[in-house]
Amino acid sequence: MRLAILGAGPGGYAAAIKAARSGAQVTLIEAEEVGGVCLNLGCVPTKVLIASSVLFAKALRLEDFGIEVKGGITPNFPRMIERKNKIVTIQQKGIRNLLKGHGITLTEGRGTLTSPGEIRVALKNGSQDIVKTDGTIIATGSRPLQVQAFPFDGERILSSNDALQMEELPKSLLILGAGFIGCEFASFFRDLGVEVTVIEMLPRVVAGEDIEISALLEREFKKKGIKLLTGVKADKVDVRDDGIRVSFPDGKEVSGEKMLVAVGRAVNTEGIGLETVGVDRGSKGEILVDEKLQTNVPGIFAIGDVIGGFMLAHVASKEGKVAAQNAMGGNTTMDYTSVPSAIFTSPEIASVGLREQQALEKDIKVKTGHLQFRSLGKAHIIGEIEGLVKVISDASSDKVLGVHIIGPHASELIHEAALAIQKGLKTRDITDTIHVHPTLSEVILEAAEDVHGEATHVPKKLLT
Amino acid sequence: MNPEDLKYHKEHLWVKIAGKKATIGVTDYAQDALGDIVYIDLPEPDTDVEANGEIGEIESTKATSSIISPVNGRIIKVNEDLSESPELINDDPYGKGWIAVIETTDASELDDLMDSAEYTKYVEEEAK
Repeated sequence: MRLAILGAGPGGYAAAIKAARSGAQVTLIEAEEVGGVCLNLGCVPTKVLIASSVLFAKALRLEDFGIEVKGGITPNFPRMIERKNKIVTIQQKGIRNLLKGHGITLTEGRGTLTSPGEIRVALKNGSQDIVKTDGTIIATGSRPLQVQAFPFDGERILSSNDALQMEELPKSLLILGAGFIGCEFASFFRDLGVEVTVIEMLPRVVAGEDIEISALLEREFKKKGIKLLTGVKADKVDVRDDGIRVSFPDGKEVSGEKMLVAVGRAVNTEGIGLETVGVDRGSKGEILVDEKLQTNVPGIFAIGDVIGGFMLAHVASKEGKVAAQNAMGGNTTMDYTSVPSAIFTSPEIASVGLREQQALEKDIKVKTGHLQFRSLGKAHIIGEIEGLVKVISDASSDKVLGVHIIGPHASELIHEAALAIQKGLKTRDITDTIHVHPTLSEVILEAAEDVHGEATHVPKKLLT
Repeated sequence: MNPEDLKYHKEHLWVKIAGKKATIGVTDYAQDALGDIVYIDLPEPDTDVEANGEIGEIESTKATSSIISPVNGRIIKVNEDLSESPELINDDPYGKGWIAVIETTDASELDDLMDSAEYTKYVEEEAK
């Protein structure tokens, strides 16, 4: 069968490869660059830059590790951007080779559905192509959400896309929005010495996370010298030659050289022919799909950011595989039981499953176990003692319901918890499993033990 | 060991009373048990505090612990030097390591605190 996929981001290309391996004749249509936002403007480039800022922050402590530095060390921002661009290019090439190797046709241009079985593509070279297909997967992704009061100008008021193209470090930066994007940039720029002020309407940073994780990140941000203004709504912005001034309803003001607006993502559903073929959309413009990821139009599927929901690259990839199977006649449903996520601040955050405040809202009786990274030898060995693990389990069945980590390598540590939740394991299954010593992974073991009051390295409480 | 002119709270705080003003800090026993103190989250001046309510946090290389207020009142002064040098708490817990000054609303509450001898005994009991 013929399958057309609109968008070659992590969802689209995963779907393409899955379908091609199952024997479909796949055309992958991409208006920008293969890899989508994830590879070009999101996950990958930000993490490349953060690798530099984290290394720089650690390098400032080299003497603690017995390494003498002769002469100073300074960040070279243009070199960081150059390294980022190089890595992105390598990864793009990797994806192109993967596509080629699987016999997938990559059509580079903007595709529009003209009927359920036809996509017209305005090719990058100016000509036009018509793709005939038996099934379609829409994976057009999302873009930074623009707020009317703070329109992006690419110079002073930046989107996350613009922030990745800066030529030099600003002296000071205002960040509007303390979600994961705002906080990652805050952490990155602050670690490189930029004065950072974060403005957030909600009462806490990374408000989607467990409340204790937000509290700890706030403290770590304060320690870094990031100025946090939470629970406040920015009113107006005044763009001047010498910088940006943001004012609040109470008359207070903050100023900075530039401002990054990271208040959310908008779905890319315009100009792709959804109205023509009659695909239904929800209140935020997102494409509505059923549990097989099919839209109301038979044969047209949608995955990734464009369907709203998690808006995570790894979820999109999984959805891509499911949609590809279903587009080829399969009968697979998407399982969101265990969706881990990570925030690459310093310290890192990762979580999966239930937050404690959700347990309260839903009146689920839970038990919690905590462990501070500083209780374990490995955290001291690597010189990163800040952080906490919190395990939430069902009070009667002992099943793991949620695990929340803030601390070194949180994004790697979370997968033991993700597997536990996916498979319905109990905290006792974790405590029965021997963990290597000395490792950071012991934090999960001991936090699970702490659910039962049995963690070896939880010190007897001195102060409350 | 524990200065005799001070009062003590069971959360291992010392309290120095001068009229309605109570200067607080952590005891030598507490600083020793906590280990090297690396950060302190100080209370905000001019905020009202409740007895046994959390007013800040101490981070040592071993643990993070809440600092509670031994009395009802209002924070009138905090030791800003601790932001830069939290180790003052280890080096000089009863002197340069003081944490905050609280103006008490009900000075009679201070009578509930332990004296030096009682606190020494309390610590011995705890250590058992």
